[in-house]
Amino acid sequence: MSQENENILEVQGLTKRFGGLAAVSEVDFKVRKGGIIGLIGPNGAGKTTIFNLVTGVYKVSEGTVNFEGKSITDLEPYSIADMGVTRTFQNIRLFKNLSVFDNVFTACHLSATYSLPEAILRLPRFRREEKLLKEKAQGLLEIVGLQDRADVVASNLPYGLQRRLEIVRALALDPRLLLLDEPAAGMNPDETEQLMRLIADVRDRFKLSVLVIEHHMDLVMRLCERIVVLNFGIKLAEGSPDDIRGDARVVEAYLGAPAPAGGK
Amino acid sequence: MDSYIQGIFMLAGINLMAVLGLSLLTGFTGLFSFGHAGFMAIGAYTAAIMTSMLKLPFIVGIVAAGFTAAIFAYLIGRMTLKLKGDYFCIATLGFGEAIRLILDNFQGLGGSRGWPGVPAHTSMLNIFIAVVIGVLFLSNLVRSRHGRNLIAVREEELAAQIAGINVVRYKTLALVVSAIYAGVAGAFLAHYMTFIQPKMFSLIKSTELTIIVIFGGLGSISGSVLGAVVLTFLPELLRAVDKWRLVAYGAAVILIMISRPRGLMGGMELTPNGIKKIIAERKAKKAAAQRSEP
Amino acid sequence: MTQFFQQVVNGLSIGSVYALMAVGYSLVYSIMNFSNFAHGGVIMLGAYFGFYAMTLLKLPFLASFAVAALGTALLAVAIERIAYRPLRMRKAPFLYFIISAMGASIFLENIVIATIGPTFRTYPEVFARTPLSLWGLSIGRLDLIMFGVSALCLSGLVAFIELTRTGKAIRAASYNIKAAALMGVNTDRVVTTVFALGGLLAGVAGVFFGMKYTVYPQIGVITLKSFIAAVFGGLGSLPGAVLGSVILGTLETFVAGYLSSQFRDLIAFVILIGVLVFKPSGIMGKPTEDKA
Repeated sequence: MSQENENILEVQGLTKRFGGLAAVSEVDFKVRKGGIIGLIGPNGAGKTTIFNLVTGVYKVSEGTVNFEGKSITDLEPYSIADMGVTRTFQNIRLFKNLSVFDNVFTACHLSATYSLPEAILRLPRFRREEKLLKEKAQGLLEIVGLQDRADVVASNLPYGLQRRLEIVRALALDPRLLLLDEPAAGMNPDETEQLMRLIADVRDRFKLSVLVIEHHMDLVMRLCERIVVLNFGIKLAEGSPDDIRGDARVVEAYLGAPAPAGGK
Repeated sequence: MDSYIQGIFMLAGINLMAVLGLSLLTGFTGLFSFGHAGFMAIGAYTAAIMTSMLKLPFIVGIVAAGFTAAIFAYLIGRMTLKLKGDYFCIATLGFGEAIRLILDNFQGLGGSRGWPGVPAHTSMLNIFIAVVIGVLFLSNLVRSRHGRNLIAVREEELAAQIAGINVVRYKTLALVVSAIYAGVAGAFLAHYMTFIQPKMFSLIKSTELTIIVIFGGLGSISGSVLGAVVLTFLPELLRAVDKWRLVAYGAAVILIMISRPRGLMGGMELTPNGIKKIIAERKAKKAAAQRSEP
Repeated sequence: MTQFFQQVVNGLSIGSVYALMAVGYSLVYSIMNFSNFAHGGVIMLGAYFGFYAMTLLKLPFLASFAVAALGTALLAVAIERIAYRPLRMRKAPFLYFIISAMGASIFLENIVIATIGPTFRTYPEVFARTPLSLWGLSIGRLDLIMFGVSALCLSGLVAFIELTRTGKAIRAASYNIKAAALMGVNTDRVVTTVFALGGLLAGVAGVFFGMKYTVYPQIGVITLKSFIAAVFGGLGSLPGAVLGSVILGTLETFVAGYLSSQFRDLIAFVILIGVLVFKPSGIMGKPTEDKA
């Protein structure tokens, strides 16, 4: 039983069909509390679909998703986020026309409880909580080193920093499980290195568990304690980086192919 | 002040009231309505029933107008806001036209010939007070977590969901609040004109309100205020070329969308803080440009 | 019973004109995923083109038809170039397309009011008003021709989409425009073709509409009913648009015939509310999940 409770996320028999086509079928895996799990596989293997299923963006066809022992299988994305699961997107989805600060500030909303009338009448609780939210957003920006760009409109940020901003916006929700969808895509080796340090750092600081999709194999191998390999929507293998490196099926399906140099 | 100018001011105030609500819906939340004249009609007729038939005070009429419009908005929201954006547009379109057709055929409220003899309760003073309260409420709303959530929905719906924002709930909120503004505007309009007719609340009225919001700039309250005042006065000054007015509006709307989609004041406010913010953004942009150069 | 069949015939005839308009909405929706509200203005101008071709240019009936249809096809393509293409290039959000469409529709309606004027105009009589008698039913000559020509045009459209290369590209793009672009489909050309096709049919529909009723600048508002028919059938589905239109046309004539013509215009909105509540994807539309 105690073994069960160690897992923050448990995915069982997860299946998603679009029309007659199964994009993901019968996938099982677990994320240990505090763990960093990698999700790899060739393009179209169903990695992002799994993210969409876990975060409620797609409706699950079959199977269950449990978070901290509770089922989140049929919940709406916002309540899943409310419970402590959040994510980033492969094709960055920032609030583009808002400033860096406002992106994070907006996402801090779950830390406040004041009601609409309290906001309209500017009652004391509004003032008090609003001040706390501001400090929180400021603090988060400092952690990831974006504080001196707080006023920049998000879409004007360089690409690498946009990814960073998306991560910090996710952190503003105080998640316990963070899903990163190709965080290093389009980054140069230097930026990738910094990103890895950031991920490890926020994991420790916020006591997070992380599930990450990534094509940079060295990043995955160095960062993740366990790796789940998908191919054609089916789980091909699971194990430590060393297991995966030595797995013949994985090598054939994925590593055997010419390694993608810079994401895509 | 001469009564002609006063009249235009009152009309500008009434338009502004409706535009403020629509500004919340379209400018801040990113939803497009073809039916806000319908909410104005509901407000106008409800208020007229209260004051003209039941002989109740004006304030009761105003509150009832806002309340009734809110109920209709809530029902429409429940039906359509879970669906993709198009369906909401279609539903508001259907709603606006249906309300007008029903009123046209409902003889108890004057039918298509209209309803004369509504008491002239609207004054410079009460419309001014209403507008000030309206602006204050709206600006307090948008500068709160609730307002930021609405903006997040406009900016990127999926990301808003993932950030824990109940998108359907916030869209419904925006629709209901904007309908209250439209309903109240309708109440003032009825007691300004002293005569209401379903024709006054046609699709053209709805689109004119939206045009004002777009001119003023999506996501700017001061823009909406500016837009409502300018676009109420301008046609009065340009009576001679009135028939070209909507031609120019149509062309201008396209032009704004393809060149400067956020309108004159998009996302910016004419307040001391707002101006500071614009300057800060400019500086930050410049600094970022310099940083990335070497 | 005769009256019943009489209503069915009348309904089919007006329904087929709705169908011509509705497929224009649906075609654009299937490719660009937004409701092109400027389409009503295009139909309205089609009615005017045909009217002036007959009265000013004194062209024969068929030539006037061609003038109207070509005119509206060009107009529809021009609207796309001016009002939508820049947005498409920028990948602007859906809201901007709708607003731009609204601007175009206001522009078209009011430029007609400002130049030609708001008065109602009546087409010259092309077909004798005396109805034909068939199997005990009296069928208007115009109604018969409307139905025949509409059916012909719609079959032509289906043939074009199913049989030609461009039609294939349209089908691919309606399935997934981004993927189609990656596969080498020239999406600009697909979009232009779709607008041209919608415009052609809009011209035909406009002329019929003008002949059946009258010509005036607010025709565009009436054509919203055909849009509702497209929603009813399932936005983006061509068979759905036709089916929805025929049902709407028939229901309308029945309501006007058995209840009161006052309620005729309300039917469309009753259907609309019913669809939104019970089956938002319409009769033949498929529900889709947003891609993340």
